[in-house]
Amino acid sequence: MTGMAAPTVHEGGALEGRSAFRSFNRPALVVVLGAVGLCSVAFASLMYGAVTLSFGQAWSGLTSESDVFARNVVWQIRFPRVVDAMLVGACLAAAGALLQGVTRNPLADPTILGVTAAAGLASATVIVIDPRVPQWGIAAACAGGGLVGAGILYIIAWRGAVSPVRLALAGVALSAFFGAAIVGLLASSRTFLQTSLGFLAGGMYGSEWRDFRAMLPYALPGLLGAFLLAGRLNVLALGDDVAAGLGVLTDRTRLVVLAVVGILTAAAVSVAGLVSFVGLVCPHLARYSVGNDNRLLIPVAALYGAILVSSADLAARLVISPSEVPMGIITAGIGAPFLLYLVRFRE
Amino acid sequence: MKITVEDVRLGYNRRVAVDGVSFVVEPGEMVAIVGPNGSGKSTLLRGMSRLQKPTSGRVLLNGDDIRAMSARQVARNLAILTQSPDAGPDLTVRELVFRGRYPHQGVLQRVTAADIEAVEWAMDAADTAQFASRPLGSLSGGERQRAWIALALAQQPLVLLLDEPTSFLDISHQVEVMHLLRRLNHQGMTVVAVHHDLVLAARFSDRVIAMRAGRVEFDGPPLKVFEPAGLERVFGVPMMVLTDPETGLPIPLPRPDPLLCPVAHTGSPLSPLPAPCS
Repeated sequence: MTGMAAPTVHEGGALEGRSAFRSFNRPALVVVLGAVGLCSVAFASLMYGAVTLSFGQAWSGLTSESDVFARNVVWQIRFPRVVDAMLVGACLAAAGALLQGVTRNPLADPTILGVTAAAGLASATVIVIDPRVPQWGIAAACAGGGLVGAGILYIIAWRGAVSPVRLALAGVALSAFFGAAIVGLLASSRTFLQTSLGFLAGGMYGSEWRDFRAMLPYALPGLLGAFLLAGRLNVLALGDDVAAGLGVLTDRTRLVVLAVVGILTAAAVSVAGLVSFVGLVCPHLARYSVGNDNRLLIPVAALYGAILVSSADLAARLVISPSEVPMGIITAGIGAPFLLYLVRFRE
Repeated sequence: MKITVEDVRLGYNRRVAVDGVSFVVEPGEMVAIVGPNGSGKSTLLRGMSRLQKPTSGRVLLNGDDIRAMSARQVARNLAILTQSPDAGPDLTVRELVFRGRYPHQGVLQRVTAADIEAVEWAMDAADTAQFASRPLGSLSGGERQRAWIALALAQQPLVLLLDEPTSFLDISHQVEVMHLLRRLNHQGMTVVAVHHDLVLAARFSDRVIAMRAGRVEFDGPPLKVFEPAGLERVFGVPMMVLTDPETGLPIPLPRPDPLLCPVAHTGSPLSPLPAPCS
C-alpha cells in the first residue's frame, strides 16, 4: 500500500520501474482484473440457469436474432437480472464504504446500522398496502425509508460527540426494530409469505428491466455522489478537528454522506430485498487491494460489490437448480465468517 | 498575517472557558500562550481557528471576521494542529501530508504541480522526508508530531496555531520541534502555540500571553513579563526566575519547598534559614 493513494512525488524513471509498478499500476491492475472478472461472471450468468445455454448460444443470443429462444432467455431474463445484480452490489458496497469512512469504524455497514431494514420496512409497507404497486413506487418508498433510517442514525449517533459504541448500539436497535416491524407486517398480511421469504433473505428472483429502470434514478446519483464525497471523506478520516482545520464542514458532510448512504441502500433494497454483508465485506477487500484513499477505495469497492452480488446470484441459481435459493443466503454465507474473522483478528 | 482577537468569549454549555479576551498578533510574531490546566488556553486556540464558535466577540484575520469567511478560505491562510490528533495507524506520512492540500483543491482533487511542490516543501521543512513512505503507526512520537506539522505546512498557511506541540516528546525532540517552528517563523510565518513548558516558551517566543480562569493575566515579551509575582498569580505556586547565562533569557521555575527537597544541600541543617535545594 505504499503511497499509491497519494499521487507520486518521485516521477520515477526506468530504474524505479518496480516501485512505480507497485505504487501506480496496482489500482489499474485491480480495476482491469475486476472488470475481466465481472464480465466473466456476467457471461456465465447468461449461460447458466434453469436451462443451460452453450457459450455459442449465449453469444448469439446476446448479439444476433438468429436463435429466438436464446435471444429471449438472454435479453428478457438473464441479462437484465445480472445487470440488476451488479447495480445492487455496487450500491451496497459503495454505501458500506461511505459508512465505514464516515464512522471511522470498520464494522459499519448499512445492514448492521439498520438503514437496510428501514428501507425494507418502507418497501414492505407499500407492497402490503397495494400489492400491485409499480416498481418505481417501491423504489421511491425505499428511498424515503432509507433517508429516514439514515436521518435517525444521524440524530441519535451524532448529537454531541461521535461515539462508535453509541453508533453501533443505535444501529443494532434500529435494525432490530425495523426488522421486527417488517416481519410483523408480512406475517399479518398472509398473502405474501412465499415472496416475502425472498424479500427477507434478499434475492434477485424475477428481477427484470423495469427494476433496473426504477432503481437507476437513485443508484446513479447515489454512486456519483459517493465518488464525489470521497475526497472529503479522506479528510474526515483524520478526525473532526483536523478536518475542520482543513476547511471541511464536518457535520454537514456527515449529513450528506448519510443521505447518500440512504439512497444507495434504498436502490438496492427496492430490487433485492434485505441483502446483508455486501456493504461490510467489499470495502474491506477494496482497502486490502488499493489502500485507504477513498477516491480509489469507493469505486473499487463498488466493482467488488458488483462481482460479489452477481456471482452470489449465479450461485443461488445453480446450487439447487432448477429451483433457486435466496441470494442473501450466499452473501451471508461469505459475509458472516468474514465478519467473525474481522472481530477476532483485527482491532 | 495579522490576527485580531476582539473580546472573545468561548464556552461549552453553560461553562465559560474563555471570558472576554482581546489581543492582536502582528504578522511574523511568535507567541506562546501559557497558563494552568483549565485556564482556557486550548479553547482560545480553537476559537482563533474555526474549530469552535465564540459565544461573543470576533476573531479577525487581516481585518476579516473568520466566521464570515468560508471554512476553506480560512484553511488556506491558517492551519491549526490540535493536541494528539489520530488518523489511525495505516496512513503513510506522504498520504497524510497530501491531505493538507484539501483547502487548495477542487471537488475532484486533481493534483497539480503546486500541490506536489507544497507537499515536498512541507515534508522537507518538517524533516519527514526520510520516513515519508512509512505508516503513521510505525513512527515514534517525535516523528509523528513532525508528520502532523508537515500536514499543517502543506496547507501553506500564513498563520500556524499549535496546541502543546512539544508535550509527550523527549528533550531532543522538543528542541527539534521548537527549532522548526522558529525557522518557519523567521521565514515569515506567524506562530501561536500553547505551551506548558515555560522554559521553552521563554526561549522560543517573542511574546508570552498568560491566561488564568479564562482571562489574560499578562501579555508581553518573556524578559519583561516572566517575573515571580506575575507567575505566582497565574500558576498559584511560589515561583522564581533564573537567568540563562548564555542568552540572558528568563528561566522560570517553581520555588523549592525546603521540607520536600533532597537533604544533599550545602546549607547547615541547623541554620535558621533553610538553604535552597542545590
